[in-house]
Amino acid sequence: MFKAVVQDARIWKNLLTAISTLIEEADFNTTSEGLKLRSMDPSHVAMVDFEWPKGAFEEYVCDKPTDIRVNLSTMLKLLKRGKSDESLEMAYDEENKKVNLTLKGKILKKFTMPTLEPVEEEVPTPKLSFSARVKLMSETLKEIVEDSETVSDNIRFEANPDKLLVKASSELSNVSMELTKTDGALLELDVKETAAATFNLNYLGEMVKAGSATSEVVALEFSTNMPIRLEFEMAQQGRLTYYMAPRIETE
Amino acid sequence: MLGMRTISWADWIEHGTTQPSGLIRDRNYADLVQNRSSKICLACRGSKMLCGKAKCPVVVRAEALVKFQGLLDKELIEGSTPPAVFVGRIGYPKVHIGPMIPPFYGNTEILDTPELWMGKTIEEVLDYRVSLIRGKSRSHIFEVQKPSKLLATLQELAMGSRPTQTEAVFTKKPRGVVLLSEDMQPFGPSAPLKSLTVSDIAVDRRIERFFYDGDLKASDAIFSLYKDGVLVTRIQRSFSLGMYGTTARRRLVPTRWGITSVDSTIASRLVDEVKHMPTIDEYLVYTFENIGNIYTAILLPEKWCFEWIEAWFPKTFWNPHGSAPELMGDFEPYEGRTAYANVGGCYYSAKLALAEKLKLERRQASSLILREIHPEYILPVGVWNVRESVRELLKTKPAKFDTFEKALSQALSVMTTPRKSWVAESKMIRGTLFQRKISKYLTQPTVYAG
Repeated sequence: MFKAVVQDARIWKNLLTAISTLIEEADFNTTSEGLKLRSMDPSHVAMVDFEWPKGAFEEYVCDKPTDIRVNLSTMLKLLKRGKSDESLEMAYDEENKKVNLTLKGKILKKFTMPTLEPVEEEVPTPKLSFSARVKLMSETLKEIVEDSETVSDNIRFEANPDKLLVKASSELSNVSMELTKTDGALLELDVKETAAATFNLNYLGEMVKAGSATSEVVALEFSTNMPIRLEFEMAQQGRLTYYMAPRIETE
Repeated sequence: MLGMRTISWADWIEHGTTQPSGLIRDRNYADLVQNRSSKICLACRGSKMLCGKAKCPVVVRAEALVKFQGLLDKELIEGSTPPAVFVGRIGYPKVHIGPMIPPFYGNTEILDTPELWMGKTIEEVLDYRVSLIRGKSRSHIFEVQKPSKLLATLQELAMGSRPTQTEAVFTKKPRGVVLLSEDMQPFGPSAPLKSLTVSDIAVDRRIERFFYDGDLKASDAIFSLYKDGVLVTRIQRSFSLGMYGTTARRRLVPTRWGITSVDSTIASRLVDEVKHMPTIDEYLVYTFENIGNIYTAILLPEKWCFEWIEAWFPKTFWNPHGSAPELMGDFEPYEGRTAYANVGGCYYSAKLALAEKLKLERRQASSLILREIHPEYILPVGVWNVRESVRELLKTKPAKFDTFEKALSQALSVMTTPRKSWVAESKMIRGTLFQRKISKYLTQPTVYAG
């Protein structure tokens, strides 16, 4: 049996929204330790790695490892009914292959939704070492992403030991931003070697916007022309990490 | 059929292909277009009047070349309508409506059924079109709420499943001009309509059912009819006469707008279904050529998105004075687009044909369709050409590849526009060539390239 309770239903809604930026159907692996999900988007450009350990739940029971695959938009439609003063209970009805969601506030609301056939697919995490690590407020990252979106479909990060440069350009216009620790824009800046890489904003924009609703602080890690890793820090040992492959202009 | 033109087709083709610069040499014409950016015509296509003229000089010039004489020297016409009707846009919301009738009896269905025109030459299509005489009468778009006798008759005609004998009386003799547009098939001579008599109409029950259903949304009716196998042309014809939708919202829709509304509605519905299907497994490349147009499609094994790009060669209709191919295209991501396509109705016609194919295969794919327009394509014949050509394109046997690079090389090898022009114009090509995959970094440990 699987049953988990989250005290604030909105937290779970925000997390699932963040996952849904990349995938439509989510395969949650539940064990006695907690709940995990790792999946690539259909074009295999980005990956989401999500972990919510037992201790981060208000209540958690899982007596045998189970894969529960659900359609995220269906689940989110139900979760959007949740308020911050409502708790959420998720339970898996193995016999009928249904997920029961219970929102508990002034009213007790019970929703039931179908599950999907799990797909046997073990995805490893990318094996990467990074030459630059930057930590900043997720609101700051959201702001620079939105600024970049005004001119381009791509964003370029350049890090050196003193600062992080963010650039976006199109045929006609461009924007460049400079972030340093001294000006308070960055919380941490650790650059072993100068790093520069470009990423697609359609993906990154979605991830950053949804991710910043789940966490106040985000860590960016990247190297020259290599994938980027975005980790949203969670208060309760939970983890939301994205990986995304770079864009390299060769023609 | 009628063959009373002031110029022969041979001259016309000659004019269109070997001496296309004649268009520019004409003094009046040159005055109109001098020093204009070569992109302006492509962006406008005779509909936005970007050059500031009251009528599109390119269209006026072409229409003038297709003049007819002594077509019908009387105010009465008798013949079998395919059935065909027309709703104009000039004067909107008070527009011209009327039937289109050829001066002969028989199975005239082909005259107004673009689905039957694949494999026909431009001259043949023009022949069909100019043999249809168009009666005109003014009507307010909301007259469908309380139809006049004429409008009711036209609606009944639009429900017709086969050619119907008709007799029309005009107040004047028909004038011989041809109406050309990017979106519509050409329309021939017209005259103000005095009266219209039709014999028994064999009504298509599928269309009739939704005509009498005043609770169903127009988009639902359109898609149901499409799924019932009703030809897109017939849906467009009846839709433009305000025959679908909730009662209070019904209105006339000018033919050229109606064509794209129907294409776009069906395409979106099909795409919604396709998005739930698995992706294809390989890179597929299709190629097809028809009346001076070369089409290629590249289907990628990724989730749905669509890009349509046209390259108009110098001396083609919408690039009369450029020195290199002019490219223009539109893209929609997985989530779809909200703004109307820059290239116009052809985008939605192509999308319909593509979505139809994917639905049939029960697969989704990222799809890029390229169209190259050569000077042999002397006139814009309407978006049906794109819809039917892309349908044919996707019926051909595709070449299969394991990488996008190979697929792209194959697709571009049948076209003449340089690769760098396509790359510069196409979001999908740039995105796919330059965007790395995260899956590439999963297996072997990689060291950062510092």
